[in-house]
Amino acid sequence: MSDAPKDSTLDIRLLAAAAPRNPVKPRLEDEIAELFDQWRGALLRYLSTFGLPPHDGEEIVQEVFLSLCSHLRKDKARTNLRGWLFRVAHNLALKRRETDRKAAGIAADVDNLPHPALNPEEELASNRRQRQLSSIVRALPEQDRRCLYLRAEGLRYREIGEVLGMSLGSVAASLERSLARFQRADKR
Amino acid sequence: MFQEEFHLSDRDLLLWADGELASQRAAKTRRHLSACWTCRARLAEMEHAIADFVQIYGSELQADLPPIEGPRALLKARLAERTALTAAGSNIWFSRMRQVRAPAVLAAILLSIAVAMRISLHENYTVAQIGAIPNVHLTPGATNPIGIQDVCSANVAANDPAVPDPLRREVLKEYGLKDAPANAYEIDYLVTPQLGGAADIRNLWPQPSMHTVWNARVKDALENRLHFLVCSGQLDLATAQREISQDWVAAYKKYFRTNAPLQEHAMPKAIGMRRRDVPFPFGALRG
Repeated sequence: MSDAPKDSTLDIRLLAAAAPRNPVKPRLEDEIAELFDQWRGALLRYLSTFGLPPHDGEEIVQEVFLSLCSHLRKDKARTNLRGWLFRVAHNLALKRRETDRKAAGIAADVDNLPHPALNPEEELASNRRQRQLSSIVRALPEQDRRCLYLRAEGLRYREIGEVLGMSLGSVAASLERSLARFQRADKR
Repeated sequence: MFQEEFHLSDRDLLLWADGELASQRAAKTRRHLSACWTCRARLAEMEHAIADFVQIYGSELQADLPPIEGPRALLKARLAERTALTAAGSNIWFSRMRQVRAPAVLAAILLSIAVAMRISLHENYTVAQIGAIPNVHLTPGATNPIGIQDVCSANVAANDPAVPDPLRREVLKEYGLKDAPANAYEIDYLVTPQLGGAADIRNLWPQPSMHTVWNARVKDALENRLHFLVCSGQLDLATAQREISQDWVAAYKKYFRTNAPLQEHAMPKAIGMRRRDVPFPFGALRG
């Protein structure tokens, strides 16, 4: 996760430079490209947790930033763009996954999806502890997994709630539940 | 906030660890933690669990993010395209509709936009490949309603049909290259007429004549290979059409079993030279 932003809030200094008092207004396309550089990695990682092929993830990231361009062209709010980016990516991923599933004739069964990042070879190569933790993650309800993934990407509870359509309390409860499972595994 | 034993709840420990407590409550929690080893130990366990998750999340999902250069370049191109379209106030599909000369040529769009959009973002693409891949929104590929007998007929034509100048200009205009130098781009068929490709704007794109890795000569080699496979009964025509229109670079890699153009195909071809090893049978469908 080396290219994840270090700041907890989205750095929109470039976007702020578009304020009227700044005589040199950056081109919107350049601003979008800057944000793309900043957030592509995090979004791709998150999208990979949906079990989508890498090129689908890339395509969704493209769609997200094209949508961002339209969003900003309409002079819509520039606050919490990180949450906005993840929310759009999340919704597009759900849609894409559903489309792919229908095309493949597979019934929706989110909880039984294999963890996208693991294959048998990787599992063998991993140490026992990692395998144990991975199995815990896989056993979590999808909503709980999503909370963990988004939190690991640095989103605040409010942002996670916005992406997943949950209340702050539900986000906290979900994270608490998941971490408790990890802790129980630690004590075994 | 505090349980019966006057310890912090798991929820409060988590909210504290994540900086989600309101300031007054955070201050009380800080004071409690400074005095309570039990809660500090529980907090450490929680942090350990978080570290465990971050480790597996990072190690499993971090691996091999494709290079950013290609996707960034593609995004910029798409943004520029949108900007140009917005500025012109034009609608690509309306202009397309004026071009369609259906029933004369029953062009079949080979793939839906949703499927086709995948190709331009193949995970291993580099900047050098982008110019080699047509914009799938503008050039999804189109074919004539012909069969294998036509494709493999002995009536031959050595070259792709010349693209009429008005159509050539329309393709350049569509790609925002109206004022490009005449020798900068070659208007190429996405699905070659050798394989039933139509002289339709949806099957034509301006291929840069600069020396790219995945240049026209490489594509010619693929076309010949597919034609051979189709005519020798090793590949059905529809599959060949679909694969070359979806991602001709991927098709090349697949059918030549290589990740890079073979040396004998790697030399960029001269503009206007399109020599084919396999004859082309569609003189009647030209231009």
